[in-house]
Amino acid sequence: MNLIPESMWNTKMTRKLRLGFDIGGTFTDFVIADEQSGEMFLEKCLTTPDDPSRGVRNGFNLLFERLEIDGSDLDVAIHATTLITNALIERRGVKTALVTTQGFRDILEMGSEVRYDLYDLFMEKPAPLIPRDLRFEVGERLKSDGSVITPLSESEIVSLCAHLKEIDVKSVAIAFIHAFRNPAHERRAAEIMKREMPDVVICMSSSVAPEIREFERTSTTSANAYAMPITKEYLDVVTDTLKTAKYGKDLYMMLSSGGVSDAGVAKEFPIRMLESGPAAGVLAAIFYAKQLGIPSLVTFDMGGTTAKVGVVKNYEAAKSNIFEFGRVARFKKGSGIPVKIPMIELIEIGAGGGSIAGVDQLGLLKVGPHSASAQPGPACYGLGGDLPTVTDSNLVLGNLNPGYFLGGSMKLDLNAARDALKTSVADPLGLSVEAAAAGVFDVVNQSMLSAMKVHITERGEDPRKFYLFAFGGAGPAHAYELARALHMKGVIIPNGAGAASAMGLVTSGVSFDFARSLVTQLNRTPWSEIEHLYEEMAEEGLKILDGIGIERGSPEISIAYQMDLRHKGQGHEVTVTIPAELIREGAPDRISELFYDVHEKKFGHAHRHLPVQLITCRMTVGAGMPNLQLMKVPSSGTDFSQAQKGSRDVYFTELRKYVNTPVYDRYLLAPEMAFPGPAIIEERECTVVVGPSGNVRIDEYGSIFIDL
Amino acid sequence: MDIRVEESAALPPADGSSAENVVEHQIKWGRLTAMMDEVDTILLRTAFSTIVSESRDYAVVLLDEKARSIAQSQICVPAFTCSLPTATRSMLEVFPRETLKEGDVLITNDPWLCHGHLPDFYIVMPVFHEGKIVAFIATAAHISDIGGRLDELNARDLYEEGLRIPPSKLYEGGKPNDQLIRMIEANVRFPRLVLGDVGAIIGAAKVGAERYVELVKEYGLPAMSAAADFILARSEAAMRAAISCIPDGDYEGFAQCDGVTSVTEIRLKISVRDDSMFLDYTGSSPQKSDAAVNVVKNVTHAHSLLALKCSLCPDLPNNEGLFSPIKTFAPEGSILNARFPAAVRARSRTSFHTHTAIYDALSKVTPGAVQATSGSFWSLRFLCNDDDGHPFIVHVLPNGGQGASRGLDGHSTTAFPGCSMVTPAEIIETNGPVLIKERAFRQDSGGAGQFRGGLGQTIRVTPAGDLPVRITIRPDRTRFPADGLLGGKPGGLGELLLDGASIEPDPFTLMPGQDFTLNLPGGGGFGDPRERDSDQVAQDLKLGLISPDAARDVYGHATEQ
Repeated sequence: MNLIPESMWNTKMTRKLRLGFDIGGTFTDFVIADEQSGEMFLEKCLTTPDDPSRGVRNGFNLLFERLEIDGSDLDVAIHATTLITNALIERRGVKTALVTTQGFRDILEMGSEVRYDLYDLFMEKPAPLIPRDLRFEVGERLKSDGSVITPLSESEIVSLCAHLKEIDVKSVAIAFIHAFRNPAHERRAAEIMKREMPDVVICMSSSVAPEIREFERTSTTSANAYAMPITKEYLDVVTDTLKTAKYGKDLYMMLSSGGVSDAGVAKEFPIRMLESGPAAGVLAAIFYAKQLGIPSLVTFDMGGTTAKVGVVKNYEAAKSNIFEFGRVARFKKGSGIPVKIPMIELIEIGAGGGSIAGVDQLGLLKVGPHSASAQPGPACYGLGGDLPTVTDSNLVLGNLNPGYFLGGSMKLDLNAARDALKTSVADPLGLSVEAAAAGVFDVVNQSMLSAMKVHITERGEDPRKFYLFAFGGAGPAHAYELARALHMKGVIIPNGAGAASAMGLVTSGVSFDFARSLVTQLNRTPWSEIEHLYEEMAEEGLKILDGIGIERGSPEISIAYQMDLRHKGQGHEVTVTIPAELIREGAPDRISELFYDVHEKKFGHAHRHLPVQLITCRMTVGAGMPNLQLMKVPSSGTDFSQAQKGSRDVYFTELRKYVNTPVYDRYLLAPEMAFPGPAIIEERECTVVVGPSGNVRIDEYGSIFIDL
Repeated sequence: MDIRVEESAALPPADGSSAENVVEHQIKWGRLTAMMDEVDTILLRTAFSTIVSESRDYAVVLLDEKARSIAQSQICVPAFTCSLPTATRSMLEVFPRETLKEGDVLITNDPWLCHGHLPDFYIVMPVFHEGKIVAFIATAAHISDIGGRLDELNARDLYEEGLRIPPSKLYEGGKPNDQLIRMIEANVRFPRLVLGDVGAIIGAAKVGAERYVELVKEYGLPAMSAAADFILARSEAAMRAAISCIPDGDYEGFAQCDGVTSVTEIRLKISVRDDSMFLDYTGSSPQKSDAAVNVVKNVTHAHSLLALKCSLCPDLPNNEGLFSPIKTFAPEGSILNARFPAAVRARSRTSFHTHTAIYDALSKVTPGAVQATSGSFWSLRFLCNDDDGHPFIVHVLPNGGQGASRGLDGHSTTAFPGCSMVTPAEIIETNGPVLIKERAFRQDSGGAGQFRGGLGQTIRVTPAGDLPVRITIRPDRTRFPADGLLGGKPGGLGELLLDGASIEPDPFTLMPGQDFTLNLPGGGGFGDPRERDSDQVAQDLKLGLISPDAARDVYGHATEQ
């Protein structure tokens, strides 16, 4: 689907084309951006999980045909995928062994020992990725300062290798105690293993996640080792598919951190690609934010299964350094496998268009976290689903048009939606179907609101200062109500909101994150020691950039510094961004002041009399953003009423009743138009719901603003 | 990326409110839980001691203006949430609400008002809106020291156990009560950790107070009160409905536990009548004058409620409404209702065993909703100095194995009813003067059964340097193991070994070169081990969780080799 009218597409223009493609659970999204003109072209195809290259080829064909190009015309191809995450969750990795310090092979399974559900006697825990009979110990031990207590037993490594070959292990994770402080033993062990078993993949904790806390580091290294061989296989297939399509250049991958790296790095650190699709959505929002000149936004991406919320501040996404995958209790924190990786921080809520509503045995209305997904789908899809979903409720409430779902290519069955709601919600609760639908809409919004509020405020931010940037198939239908309840400034719905996350792929630059733990009092450590760590990380980063053709000393290279700091004696640390000159000058006192300020802003207090302790040094090495500008849309010179295509009754929570509401065609809306809510704006991939307190205006790029 | 579940719930219009109102209440309830999660996170992230920041031994609860508990965070020490409202009401008897000003903060650690031993600080901040108290943020946290004896088990009365703070003002009108703070500072071994945690508690409570006032401004006080009434009524009704499903009758349970100097027996009769329950602990051991394992009645009540909630209605949010259908009784002067000034420091050595008796009783009528006994958590402390010479303590709460249930093996190194997180070896070694030589599953420590109990763990410790290390330790189940249920076998006993020889758990000094071994107990099994699926026995054998001897002799498993 073009983002601009077909008539404006000038094939004679000089092109510098960037291709992005994002393989999601249900759909694969494609975008081609022309760096010169700012034009963007979208395509959406069903994902083909049995052989993902098929879906990719389908999309390429459609898009290339439309643009009359082939792969050789592309400047760069950038990819995001959920398939690595899925392979981990479904345990489709290779036979992987773990090698630990003598006495510590069970760490991986013991975990934190905490019960993530206080009251559930039947709580499940995720099985460890590497079972106990594939976990081995070797003689070696370091002290907390990195000095050697017991030297590495090289003979034990050699005899272990013989055993690993015999049992046909394909991949090995090495995680020694305090290896983040001194990698020598891990490196030597890896060296011997590579010599003894040249065909086996070896992965060290000191290179995958050199940070303190042995369980998380071991878990991260194990997941990485487990995923490496399948990732390599997968990326080779994707590369071949691109080659077949005549794209001969390097394949680039979106990382969880929002950076882009070449496929070689991704093969070495596959866990850095978990959740790269949702990360791309936030990057798309940042791209728009820059174009629109709005430095801070809350992003809201609601699809079929989940909703994702992120915070953008001064054109930057909040980041975190830990993630959990494969939660056995759906969305419960602590029920998954933790990995220490740099992530764009998002909160994911089990609330999407497909989330199923029902009444439990206690007579309570529940929505989600289970989803009807694409199969059997919401009741109104008529594909065999008979349980009511959020989409069914939206249909009953008038938010959706049964005749214009996906631009009318799919008909929705209103009666099936009503029947499902009546049977599963309305009758058991003694409500009308309409009240039941309104209840489902309110409850699912409430789930999202609670999570959003915590997420925004935990970052020390006030939702009232932000616009909500809404995208994804269901986002634009729920955004108004969320923004209203949080007293936000309003809602922004970009052009092409239904597939906006793919745009994040083509709008982001190359970057990679590094970390090294060094537990020490900041003002007592010789600065050279800290500088040395940063130099090491910079060296690794520059090597990666060099490998993809960005030379050392190139002006587009950027380096950003962070430190995890805490008050001396405190239990947890806070990540603080440090200006480069403070690192260069070695200014621990000014860094301490920065830490106190951040702590106070975040938690409401700081202990300025206590010294500051350094835990981990972090660095991001990146290279320039693509020079992409959004294309301006001309005004149509007509009145907004020309864009109205009808009207229907729509239920609004704030009025607690149905109101006859005008329906507009998004493709007929143009800059300078403005009109008051209530209103419905329909486009192919999504529907925008504007409540009675909102005022709509269209900006010069065709974005919809709902001001509150 | 942070992911959390928000499952919201609504009521049918059975309690006078319309269905639409119910959804509104439900929305406020959801927001209250979200707010408490935020407060919880702030406290965790800003605390100083390992017992709060790593082990999570704390809870924060929102009380309404009548000091009834309404909401709490999703992870916290459950038993604290039962005693916080009653402790707050006791403090309000000393400082009547009409005398309180904005910026006041109350504190006490009186075991008879709070949670049964002195290290638990209860700190309450009234929340003001337009000059009136509209709520309380009440926090319970186990602080790292309260003075008194170094050992945890042998005190003869409360006065040996450290500083008792009667209900007092920690802050008055926003100003710290310096005299009280200096008094605390002078009487605890690790004042930086203790006062650092107190600062974190107050910082987090302030944020909670601000958030609640925002809600009151948005909805108005009457609406918030109505939501509170709704929450409590809903919860009580659900608990009553759950109790109604159990046939009326009297069900007896029994548990035996290490009593330090002499065995402790817990005898229980649960009487179910219609939709209410009465737990009578008459017949349990008398209180002790030679061991610090006595339990005050608040704690007995809290642990009884916790075990029942887990069995009867685990999915409901926790609040006081759940508690009203359940009464507990233990005769005054008994081990479960000790008279002042009994020694109580290690009361969990008794209170953590009440669930054994409760599930023993309920296994006779609802065997699918109980769990065999868990190998308890232990408390292990390393006393040391930091690199500035300030006294410092590293507190580690490792867990034994969980008991099995019908259909589910117990998790290894995951104990019920506690919810403590173990401190990583790398954190222990970075902060403290010891080396952790091993942390491993203990083979055969999981109680045999059709469903196997979780395994306990072995921890081996030695001094990291040339200096001796002072250690205090509170073990459990070294004499009486975690019981199995319905034919399941007990878990492995706990053991303490110094250089391989058994030792008593007094505080002691670990000398360089010595090896101190803790063998934590396993959980009890469920059902006859001979009924265990042979594939599962083979799998346990392959993973080394059970020995070939156990497979053959206990499970009757024919091994091929």
